[in-house]
This record gives sequence, structure tokens and C-alpha cells, in this order.
Amino acid sequence: MSSDVILVIVVGTALAFDFTNGFHDTANVVATSISTGAARPQVAIGFASLLNFVGAFISISVAATVAKDVVNADVITPTIVFAGLIGAIAWNLITWYFGLPSSSSHALIGGVVGSAVAAAGFDVILAEGLVGKVLIPAVVAPVVAFLVAGLAIGLSYRVVGKQRPGIVSRGYRYGQIVSSGLLALAHGTNDAQKTMGVITLALIANGTLGAEADPPTWVIVASASAIALGTYSGGWRIIKTTGTRIIKMDAAQGFSAQGAGAAVILASTHFGFPLSTTHVINGGVMGSGAAKRLSAVRWGVAGNIVVAWILTLPAAALIGAATYGFTRIFGTGALGPILVTLMALSLIAAAFARRARQGAPVEAVGA
Amino acid sequence: MIATIVQWKELGQTVVASLVAGVGITFAFSLGIWGSGQFAELSRDDRPVAATVAGVVATLAFLAVAVAVVVGIVVMTQK
Repeated sequence: MSSDVILVIVVGTALAFDFTNGFHDTANVVATSISTGAARPQVAIGFASLLNFVGAFISISVAATVAKDVVNADVITPTIVFAGLIGAIAWNLITWYFGLPSSSSHALIGGVVGSAVAAAGFDVILAEGLVGKVLIPAVVAPVVAFLVAGLAIGLSYRVVGKQRPGIVSRGYRYGQIVSSGLLALAHGTNDAQKTMGVITLALIANGTLGAEADPPTWVIVASASAIALGTYSGGWRIIKTTGTRIIKMDAAQGFSAQGAGAAVILASTHFGFPLSTTHVINGGVMGSGAAKRLSAVRWGVAGNIVVAWILTLPAAALIGAATYGFTRIFGTGALGPILVTLMALSLIAAAFARRARQGAPVEAVGA
Repeated sequence: MIATIVQWKELGQTVVASLVAGVGITFAFSLGIWGSGQFAELSRDDRPVAATVAGVVATLAFLAVAVAVVVGIVVMTQK
């Protein structure tokens, strides 16, 4: 009975994480389109939401099993996964509150690492996986995207430099609709799978599914719906940061950042060196601004974003560890996770109510 | 230690493919916009041959971008 209750809580928490993942990462897909006026905010978000939903069905290989290369899988229990998810959700909400685009995947990995360490000690960490699969890609992603977007925008300005501004802006805006669609599909494919992986693992651990089972249809539909709903809710603070606070971008820069971002993400997927969508897009935005003029980038804002990236793993890990420790005060049963869930729901409701009272979505700044 | 942990081959392939695809797609799309602009301008100036050439360049460039988008979707389905 107790394990069934924990299973239900883990499934619910995984879907809540999926929602915050979509909510948090909406900016990766729509921020540049909105800021250049390529699409109206609600249209861009609706489009991104739909394609995130579709993307979740494109591939259902649950190879993206959370943290499997980073912590010893033998120690993972549903309660550890639950605490890790709470760490990731908390960090997603903290960075959203401050309008900082950070990687939801890194938050999830950090949360699970922290809760696993709290449960079984530092020996559970697979250092090679942590460095090779998480830390190195975290450095590579923004640097590659920065270079690609910088080169791309330099070339674009040379090619279209003598054309009438009207046709150029219109053309790149149409291009942004295509590139944001591709990004939304890729995001749905990559990120909804993490939730499917978490839920499937929990079902296997509980004995509900066999060890080699594929995710059931309801898991796929629920994960796709959660990420799409999260995307549709729109994390306006982060959209504002990525779309208008790093650089004031024109349509060509928006297209270069998105086009370069889509190319980097798909190339990395193809060659088995997955990179964070958040790091790639924000690196691309900085690159497309810096190539025009170094001072065009607000380096203070860029610096805050980089600090958030550096803090993501340890901060989510600390919250995950603290959550696991708190649940263990109440034993190994369901009481600890139930109490944490109730506390988390209360905090989230309070934060959203406060935000709803303040909220005014970002306006297009024109190109 | 780092040298053995990093998947240098995958990293190198990712960087090269990202550069080629990212810069290539943006260049092709820009060429498409340039061709469209030239086509409109040359047509207005009553220079049909040059306008046709610009139109063909634009069409081929946008076609290349469309092919790249399809390849991107195939990559997603095959991962």
C-alpha cells in the first residue's frame, strides 16, 4: 500500500516537473520570435506548445533514463527519484522567479545526484559520467552556439546587406517561424522523454511493469500533455530575458540564433553528444549580438545567466538532498513524500498567485 | 584523466556538423532572401533574364533550407 502511494506521488511529481520544464523552456523556442515581432506572443506560445506535444510522440526511446550515467543505478529508489524531482522543480521555479534561463535537465540530474548522495553517500556518483556527460557538454554548448550564431549572422549581413530592409526583415521573420517550430519539436522529443523515463522506472521499480517494458500509452500521453501545458503557460520572465535583455535583436539575429541553435541541437543529438537547449539558445543569442558589436551584448545579464548555469547542479543537488533527508525523518513510508508534496504545492500556489497579481507579458520590441 | 573521460570523437563531430549546418542553413536562407529581393528589383527594372536567375537562386536556396528541415526531423525520429 505504502509503495503504491509513493508511486502515485512520484508519477504526479514527475508530471509536475515536466510542466515546469515546458514552462521554463518556452523561452528557448519563442523568445527570439516574440522579440523580433515574427509572431504574436500567444500565437508563438500556442504553436510551440502544439509542437512540443507532437514532438513527445516522435521518439519514445527511453534511453534518456535520468542520471543513469551519473549515479549508480542500483541505489535508486522511488523516494530518491521523488526528492531529486523536488530539487529540480524548486530550482526551475527559483530561476524562473529571477528570470534566468537555466537547464531543466541539469536541474533534474543535480536533484537526483543530491538525493542519491544523501541516501547512500558520495560513492554513488559516477565521476566519469558527471564530467563527460554533464559538465563538459555544459561548457561546450554555449561556446559552440556562440561561434556558430556569430559566424552565421556575420555572413547573413554580408549577403543581404544591400537589400531593402523591409524584405529582409519579413524574410527572416518567416524563417524564424520555421526554426522555432523545429526547436519546439526537438524540445518535445528530448525533454518529454525524461519524464517518460522517470515514470517508467518508477513503475518498473514498483513491479507494475516488467524490467524491459516500454512506457505505456498513458505515460506518453500524460508526459506530452504536461510539457505542452507547461509550454502554453509561458515563462514570461525568462522569455523577456532571452528575447530582450541579453541583446536588442533584429530579425536576422533572431533567425541566426534560432537556426544555429536548431543545427547545434540536432547535430549533437545525431552524434550522441546531447547538449542543453537552454545553453545552446542563449549562447546563440549572445553570439549573434556580439558578432554585430561586442557592446551590443549586456554582459551583466549574460554573466548572471552563466552564474545560474554554474549553480544549477549544486543548488538542485542541495535541495534534493535536503528533501530526501526530510522525508527520512518520517521513516521509509509514504508520510515523508506526502508532507513534502503538500508543502511544495502550497509554496507553488502562493508563488503563482503572487505572480498572477503582478504579471504583464513581454511586448514585442519590433525589429 | 579528462582526456580519457571526454568523448572527443563525438565532440569533434558535433562541433564540425554544428558549424557546417548552422552557418550553412543561415547562409542558404540569406541567399534566398537576397534572391527574392533581387528578383523583385530586377523585375521592376524590366530585366527578365537577370530576374529569372535571381529567382532560381532564391528557389534553390529555400529548397536547400527545406531539405535541411526535413533532415532535422529525420534526425529526431532516428535518435
